[in-house]
Amino acid sequence: MASLARLNFYYWRYKHLFIPGLLCAVISSSFAIIVPMVVRQAIDSIPRFVTSYRAFQGTPLENYLYTDYFFSLLTFGLMIMALSVGSGIFSFLMRQTVVVASRHIEYDLRNRLYDQLQNLSHDFYLKHATGDLITRSTSDIEQVRRYIGPAIMYTTRALVIIVVALSVMFVISPKLTWYTLIPMPFLAVSVGLVAHLVHSRSDALQFQYSVLTSRVQEALSGIRVLKAYSREKVEAEAFDKESADYRKKSLDLAFIEAAWRPVFLTLVGVSTLIVVWVGGTLAIAGEITIGNIAEYIIYVALMTWPVASMGFVITMVQRAAASMDRLNEIFDAEPGIVTTEGEAIKEAKGAIAFEAVSFRHPASEVKALNSVSFAAPAGSTLAVVGRTGSGKTTLVEMIPRLLDAESGTVRIDGRDVKSIPVDVLRSMIGYVPQDVFLFSDTVAENISFGTLGAEQSLIEKAALEADLLDNISSFQDGFETFVGERGITLSGGQKQRTSIARALIRQPRILILDDALSAVDVGTEQTILGHLKKQFGKRTIVIVSHRISAVKDADHIIVLDEGQIIESGNHDSLVQEDGFYAALHHKQLLERELEELA
Amino acid sequence: MSEEKKKGLDGRLLRRIISYLEPYKIWVGVAFITVLVVAFLGPLRPKLVQITIDQDIVTGDLEGLRNMIMLLFGILVAEGLLSFVNAYLTQWIGQQAIYDLRTKLYRHIQRQSLRFFDTTPIGRLITRVTSDVESLSQVLSAGVVTILGDLFKLIFISWFMFSLNWELALLTLAVMPLMVYATFWFKRKVRVAYRETRTQVARLNSFLQEHISGMKIVQLFGREEEEMNRFKAINDEHRQAHIRTIFYYALFFPLVDLVATIALGLVIWFGGLNAMQGTLTLGVLIAFIQYARQFFEPIRNLSDQFNTLQSAMAGAERIFDLLDSDLSISEEESPVDFKTVDGRIEFRNVWFSYDPKIDSEDDEADWILRDVSFSVNPGQSLAIVGATGAGKSTVINLLLRFYDIQRGSILVDGVDITSISLADLRSHIGLVLQDVFLFSGTIRDNITLRNDEITDERMKRAAASIGASAFIERFSAQYDYEVRERGMSLSHGQRQLLSFVRALVYAPRILVLDEATSSVDTETEEAIQNALERLMKDRTSVAIAHRLSTIQHADKILVMHRGQVRESGSHQELISQDGLYRKLYELQYQEQKALA
Repeated sequence: MASLARLNFYYWRYKHLFIPGLLCAVISSSFAIIVPMVVRQAIDSIPRFVTSYRAFQGTPLENYLYTDYFFSLLTFGLMIMALSVGSGIFSFLMRQTVVVASRHIEYDLRNRLYDQLQNLSHDFYLKHATGDLITRSTSDIEQVRRYIGPAIMYTTRALVIIVVALSVMFVISPKLTWYTLIPMPFLAVSVGLVAHLVHSRSDALQFQYSVLTSRVQEALSGIRVLKAYSREKVEAEAFDKESADYRKKSLDLAFIEAAWRPVFLTLVGVSTLIVVWVGGTLAIAGEITIGNIAEYIIYVALMTWPVASMGFVITMVQRAAASMDRLNEIFDAEPGIVTTEGEAIKEAKGAIAFEAVSFRHPASEVKALNSVSFAAPAGSTLAVVGRTGSGKTTLVEMIPRLLDAESGTVRIDGRDVKSIPVDVLRSMIGYVPQDVFLFSDTVAENISFGTLGAEQSLIEKAALEADLLDNISSFQDGFETFVGERGITLSGGQKQRTSIARALIRQPRILILDDALSAVDVGTEQTILGHLKKQFGKRTIVIVSHRISAVKDADHIIVLDEGQIIESGNHDSLVQEDGFYAALHHKQLLERELEELA
Repeated sequence: MSEEKKKGLDGRLLRRIISYLEPYKIWVGVAFITVLVVAFLGPLRPKLVQITIDQDIVTGDLEGLRNMIMLLFGILVAEGLLSFVNAYLTQWIGQQAIYDLRTKLYRHIQRQSLRFFDTTPIGRLITRVTSDVESLSQVLSAGVVTILGDLFKLIFISWFMFSLNWELALLTLAVMPLMVYATFWFKRKVRVAYRETRTQVARLNSFLQEHISGMKIVQLFGREEEEMNRFKAINDEHRQAHIRTIFYYALFFPLVDLVATIALGLVIWFGGLNAMQGTLTLGVLIAFIQYARQFFEPIRNLSDQFNTLQSAMAGAERIFDLLDSDLSISEEESPVDFKTVDGRIEFRNVWFSYDPKIDSEDDEADWILRDVSFSVNPGQSLAIVGATGAGKSTVINLLLRFYDIQRGSILVDGVDITSISLADLRSHIGLVLQDVFLFSGTIRDNITLRNDEITDERMKRAAASIGASAFIERFSAQYDYEVRERGMSLSHGQRQLLSFVRALVYAPRILVLDEATSSVDTETEEAIQNALERLMKDRTSVAIAHRLSTIQHADKILVMHRGQVRESGSHQELISQDGLYRKLYELQYQEQKALA
């Protein structure tokens, strides 16, 4: 529960809503609790009216009495309605303040969470799945909100109603009250138990639901293998089994839900029966009136929901505490990338040097980079080649400090990158990642992503250099073309070139292309490289590629395997070496020849 | 939403949904009976309380009071038990029906040909099998039974009220239209408001989804401040949408309470006047107070049910559309017995297009394969060479009958594959794809594909002869090692080897191979090369080849270009022809000579 203490700050911030809101809860409950008293008065007065009315029947007073009683009864009826209106108005105001305040706090919390997410390093994102982070920022926050608003509101209401109703009931008849209360503890306990069981069983059901979903997902993704090996029957049976398990989990939950209402209603019913039985006995003995019985019946009805709600509130608080713990994990995470003090950088040149750099991904036994050293002078082109998983991406991610070296030093212009402020460091780097990531926005917005408010001419120039301008001109809306979510409306090659333009528009000293030309054909690749070559010497370029055509002109080529540099040199020397690079070269040559010949 | 509206409550659709309850009709009958009894017992209690007050309490009959209480207690317990039985039984029926529908749907999907999977996103199919089926569960379980139960409850309450005092009954019922109106008004408003909040929640989620996935870009390009502002704006709209729904809830709960209290006030006023004329007892008055409250619950339930029915219709429609369209490969009713084969393959003038609507007489149409003919003798190896898009993979797909061809015929051992059962045909063919697909599960699961007939010994023998046992046995869990989703915990080469073991363990006569293009480290490369030789030995094999060694050693080479066979023959034969293959080989040869 300690984790929830953090929220006290927010209660204080919205005290102008919480204090009147809870006051309204008190007033609304008070109005509601007067209704049964009026009912009792009315019922008790009816026999009196009847007796006196009968006594004067046939006399001139008859009409007068009738009119009098008519209006008395009407007054009772109207009073009941007026009380209900009063209770309703305050109950309305209560929700409009307390629940609204909970939405404000939810808003604040979520802003703070997102702000923190932006500060966390790449490392953190390697450890946490996207889906998990989204769950935290949506449903965990929702759980906490329920605690903030509804839980507090219900508690206040329940307290007022229970305290006031019990006081009134005790004044009328302590004995009847004690008897009436017998089922109430059972009610609270059974609600608590039910709420607990419902949560744990619906979690189990939810889990089985995702098992079922991933089963289908996987089977359908591998449908070719399933069919080729005629495993349809086995797979269908496995699916049957998971479905049957899902059915079982559903019924486990259904059992509790089916049992809960009858138990609840029976306990309330028993309370009412006790009122009639004990109350009836007392009424016969003349200790209470029949009106009191009606009054008690209404009290029981009034109290059942608040008592039951306390059971739910307990689980709400438990859930909120668990969710808050998960949120605090993010709030308390260290941003990871820390800059040590250093002189401000004046004019960056762009020389890159790795000195015995090693890196291990969290929770991995193997080193992704193992003592990698090389130097790329300012203005040179460095190419990194190697098969999938050899550490190429890890290597380039160390330059803008998406990752920090475990040991060894990465230097830019001779300075340890850790001593350059991150925003300064990143502002001099144009980075084109392997997985193209575009935002759902216009092409122009995506290109100028890193240079807010860039002029149209600059956007066009970047698009031209990325060989994208012709494509964009052919779009009906040109630069204002909307890129669907994650850029669905563009082709793979167009997306990749947009990503390149986004890096180029920043006029970076260092340009990093992480397998950034994989989705374009060789011709386009050469055009783009040609544009880049015009600026040879002006910037340092790091190219990661599988294609020999993209790397063959680089000043220096390094070949990575299992995190180590196994070959290095230029194209000619590497081909001579007859190693990995040479093999790759021959294979691609063969493929190209096939294309050209055919 | 507008679609849901339009569908409304389509009777035919509803009947089709309900037909899934057919196997459980006895239980549905039991559920009906219990729900009727419960609908009667609930309203019976206030009536009995009335009798207790008027006949026992007012007259002071203690024994009568105790007897009535016992009776009431009995009824209460019976009502509780029966409503539990009813609630559980309806859920049970519903879950059985859901299970039937879901497994049927899954089998239907799985039976479809690849043509179907090429055009249908997997995500959509998952939705059908999971959430769409789920949306029917309310209708299939509680739906019909509960609606009738609630209707009967309303009838019984009215009946009891009228039998007690018809004037007061009319008066109480006069308020009910207000209650019905308020409830349906609220449901309508909340639905509209909810739609808005759902939109906002979706916006918030997609922003988060996008920015958490793309956080690297946000940070690399220094956009934190700008994105924070955008997030705040979306978050604010999300908050506003929710605050609007709070308004309706804040209004609705007191409103319902007010309507119930109006009924109470009317009962007290009018009932009191009645009592003065001697037509009404106190017990009746108290009974009416309870009836006025009891009336609300069935009304609310009915409005809930109405909404679930509507949304279920949309899901049902999508499910039945899927069930009604069938793109599966049709199998011969009495297939040729095909338990053993020699492994002779023949393509005879095969024309094929992935577009099923292609005009099969039009030679100029967009064909993927045009008039392809070739044959492979038992035990021979065939290498297919060609550029991307030449139709190499298509040949493989057709041999396994993933698709049906438009013209020509494909024969195995001289038998047209359309007259063989799919299971028999595929049992003789081992498929190894370049993009190895592993299922989450153990190494054993992935080798045997959960086929119990494959013994551990057979599996281990296969692994050993492929040369995979070395790496498998290095894991402490050995064959029980979890490969995780898509084999993430294995290297590319290891995955490749596993797929070879898989092919070998099924001991097919024919091996179909899409050779991997991506380079692997030299050690694994050697292992794979050996494994391949071991695999292809004594088998008919068809390989899409990229390695010169595979091509050179093949008994027959097929050079494909744009869906046509340009050249075919052995390496020597093709070299002696002055064609495509020779040019290719020479270039390659020169390249190697230059290196040496």
